[in-house]
Amino acid sequence: MTFAALLSKELRSRLRRERFVWVVIAYLLIMALLGFGFLQRENAFNGGYQVYLLSQIGAQLYALFSFVELFLIIFIAPAFTSTAINGEKERQTFDLLLCSKLSAFSLLAGKLIAGLANVLLLIAASIPLFSLVFFFGGVAPAQVLSTLVVFVMTALLAGTFSLFCSTVLRRPTISTAVAYAFSVLWMFSYWIVYFLVGNSLLITSRWFIWVQWLNASNPITAVNSTVSSGISSFSLYRLHLAPWVAYTLVCLVVSIILFLLSTLFVRPNSLDRFQSWLRNLSKKSEPAKVMKG
Amino acid sequence: MIKIQHVYKRYHTIHALEDLSLEIPQGAIYGLIGPNGAGKTTLLRILGALISPTVGQVWFDNKEVTRSPTAIQHKVGYMPDFFGVYPDLTTEEYLEFYAGIHGISRSKRASVVRDLLELVDLTPKRDAAVEDLSRGMKQRLCLARALIHDPEILLLDEPAAGLDPRARMEFRELLRTLQGMGKTIVISSHILLELAEMCSDIAIIRAGQLVIAGDVEHVTHSLGGGQRVEVRVLERATDARQLLKEMPEISNVMDGSNDGEVIQAEYMGDDRTLHNILAALMAHDVPVISFAPRRAADRLEEVYMSITEGVSSI
Repeated sequence: MTFAALLSKELRSRLRRERFVWVVIAYLLIMALLGFGFLQRENAFNGGYQVYLLSQIGAQLYALFSFVELFLIIFIAPAFTSTAINGEKERQTFDLLLCSKLSAFSLLAGKLIAGLANVLLLIAASIPLFSLVFFFGGVAPAQVLSTLVVFVMTALLAGTFSLFCSTVLRRPTISTAVAYAFSVLWMFSYWIVYFLVGNSLLITSRWFIWVQWLNASNPITAVNSTVSSGISSFSLYRLHLAPWVAYTLVCLVVSIILFLLSTLFVRPNSLDRFQSWLRNLSKKSEPAKVMKG
Repeated sequence: MIKIQHVYKRYHTIHALEDLSLEIPQGAIYGLIGPNGAGKTTLLRILGALISPTVGQVWFDNKEVTRSPTAIQHKVGYMPDFFGVYPDLTTEEYLEFYAGIHGISRSKRASVVRDLLELVDLTPKRDAAVEDLSRGMKQRLCLARALIHDPEILLLDEPAAGLDPRARMEFRELLRTLQGMGKTIVISSHILLELAEMCSDIAIIRAGQLVIAGDVEHVTHSLGGGQRVEVRVLERATDARQLLKEMPEISNVMDGSNDGEVIQAEYMGDDRTLHNILAALMAHDVPVISFAPRRAADRLEEVYMSITEGVSSI
């Protein structure tokens, strides 16, 4: 009940803001203009739409929309959750939430779901634009579903990381900056490592498994796997998974860990309590060392 | 009954509270007085189980606050010294939200909110956006929020700060109504006269330490000597001063104004003593214009100023 009250209030106040309407308009305009530009270019390049090329145009248009949407989600999701907790502290409403029956779990879940609901609304708003590709063909409904799953997982991980930042960092500006820095690193991590370490080192057996994990957690690889037949599957330990499935699993696990850590740190003095818990733990382990010595 | 026993609170190197012990009786309106940085807000936050004392214990009836903070928070309504409002919500939605997170069922929420809006006289503003309310209205809304779960204890941090005299008076009346409903109210404030008039008991805190606690009469008498009466005479001020000095019930005689026509006398006793002093002045044909016993509440400010002298109140 407390969770529902928080969610209802969050949705009500977020959707009432004029800013949200402008975000939706800008989001759809960017997508529509890019799609229109692509179709114009194809039209000019091929001298009109050739029937035998329609499915190819459809697939390319779908890939374009998917990557644009991915980038937009990654850059919009942190904006909705990176100030969720420290923003309450800054508005001086956090104490009032603590005085209520709202549990740490309900508080964070309410904030996360409300933030994600905004992103999901943007995804839903873009569905009619996405549906344009079905006029051209070349895209299977299963592909669309897997891309949607990747989008939702991307929003989930970006959202939970931003929420975690807003829980542990005091200033909203810093948590927002850290959340965006993470988003950029996350998106381009594979290529950054590739650039720093080099291809020859990446394919050595010692590093290969880490590269596979890095690739599995990369949103661009995941979307790429849903729009093209580039990478067929990942081998993570003994599992052979399609990249978007591996990505979904990685995102789910990391999001759950980040969410649980946030519930741990959201209460006041939690960092102090955590440090004293670590101190107690080290004190307990000291006599054991002496005994061994 | 709230018992605060040898409470210390430290923030790194800052000692916010130092060995503070206090008892707050049930049903009282209890005032916490002290300059800025004295530790009043820290004490209220400890009472609200929002922070734990570094050392010491706080008991609500037979429950220790740090051991069962959630149970205590359900008994306490906390109103901080800032509004803490969500500007996008209307007054009614704002209270409904707090009713929801305090676990009030959806079916009861509307009636609880309606009753509270009526209590704080905000029913005509139920559909107004919170950000459009005046300061006094926001203050009343925050009080309604603190009352949403019908707490036994209200902790109010500087509730009358920034209110105009009329809003302050209305707020005071509201608190009296709440006291009549059996609630224990703990208030911190700088407006001493208001606290003295409103509170049954007060505690003066300075630099995290308790200076004195008790009812207003007790505090002013303990710190400011005996009771005081102000006598204004038309003439013969010197004779009047001499006469007062000779009276055994008068312990001290001071000039109350530069021209010497106003005399302040400290006395020990009751109304009968006051009557005897006035009768003695009249018997000696001293032309008394006014004879005004100073109430403890009026004197609280003098007492407060003297004991907080030299303490920074930035």
